[in-house]
Amino acid sequence: MSGLLPDPARVDPIEAHVAELAAVLRGTDRAKTRMLAELREGLLDAATELAPGRGPDDAAAREAVRLFGSVAELAPGFQHELTIVQARHTAGRILLLAPLLLPCWYVLAGAGPTAHRLPYAAQVLLAHLGGTAAATALAAAAFLAATGPLARRLATPDRLPTVVAWTGTTAAVALALSAFTLTIASLLTASWPLCALAGAVAIVFHAKIAASARACRECARLPATA
Amino acid sequence: MKASEVRGHLDGLLLSVLESGPLHGYAVITAVQERSNGVLELRKGTIYPALNRLERLGLLDSTWESVGERRRRCYELTDAGRRSLDTERKVWREFTAAIGSVLEPAQPRTAT
Repeated sequence: MSGLLPDPARVDPIEAHVAELAAVLRGTDRAKTRMLAELREGLLDAATELAPGRGPDDAAAREAVRLFGSVAELAPGFQHELTIVQARHTAGRILLLAPLLLPCWYVLAGAGPTAHRLPYAAQVLLAHLGGTAAATALAAAAFLAATGPLARRLATPDRLPTVVAWTGTTAAVALALSAFTLTIASLLTASWPLCALAGAVAIVFHAKIAASARACRECARLPATA
Repeated sequence: MKASEVRGHLDGLLLSVLESGPLHGYAVITAVQERSNGVLELRKGTIYPALNRLERLGLLDSTWESVGERRRRCYELTDAGRRSLDTERKVWREFTAAIGSVLEPAQPRTAT
């Protein structure tokens, strides 16, 4: 079995260093891949510079890794930026998906003759859930502004990604309850295909926002420094 | 000068070396060290999150460029980045003038 393992002496120090850093970082795949690709290129440049005329060898690669900093030194800075990117991704999803609950409800509430409208209790509940979704969308928009160009003038509070994660969770819960309510309502109303469709849409949106909010919470729990 | 002392001025340093034209990450690092004659010590790897942050703030733009088999991300200043650099310079001049006036006060004129 040990014959299948790579010979430690043959492992490229740069690739090993980048892989070690990748293992401790959390964030969107795109941002993480991009930042690590830039780091790898920088390490290769440094190793080339440290071995003029002979090409980057193992010793030069190890020296480049030392000059760039250990995983413990680099990870907090990388994680801070990845956490902000993940939080912006979550905020973007909330802003895009949560407000769609409102037109969904309005279409359903006004569909068909009065006798075929949603039960009153379901309408009241959906109105509250719609309001919650709208509130989370506004919070998400504020977060996107605060971590974009506005951040040139205002410091970004350390706990902001955690706030975004819980805002996302709130939106996801509102969408899950909406999906449940719409599913129940579809059994009670004549316009059940519309209700069932809206319920299915709400559950898909719930899944997307909940997954992003969970990833955001994981990022926010990791040590990070600007 | 240690890396921790440089950190507070990192944004200004990065914007400054990019003022003359686009550079990729490692070229930015070497430009900072060359301009400071090696006095400024940077943990080189810490530059990359900083460049990403400046791009998020709209102070830099970046594009991937292929050089042979390698791909490098090149950064350049945006108009907002140039304005931010002007502000950084102004703040730095005021800061050094204030510190200088305390550390090296003008000799008081003796009354005649």
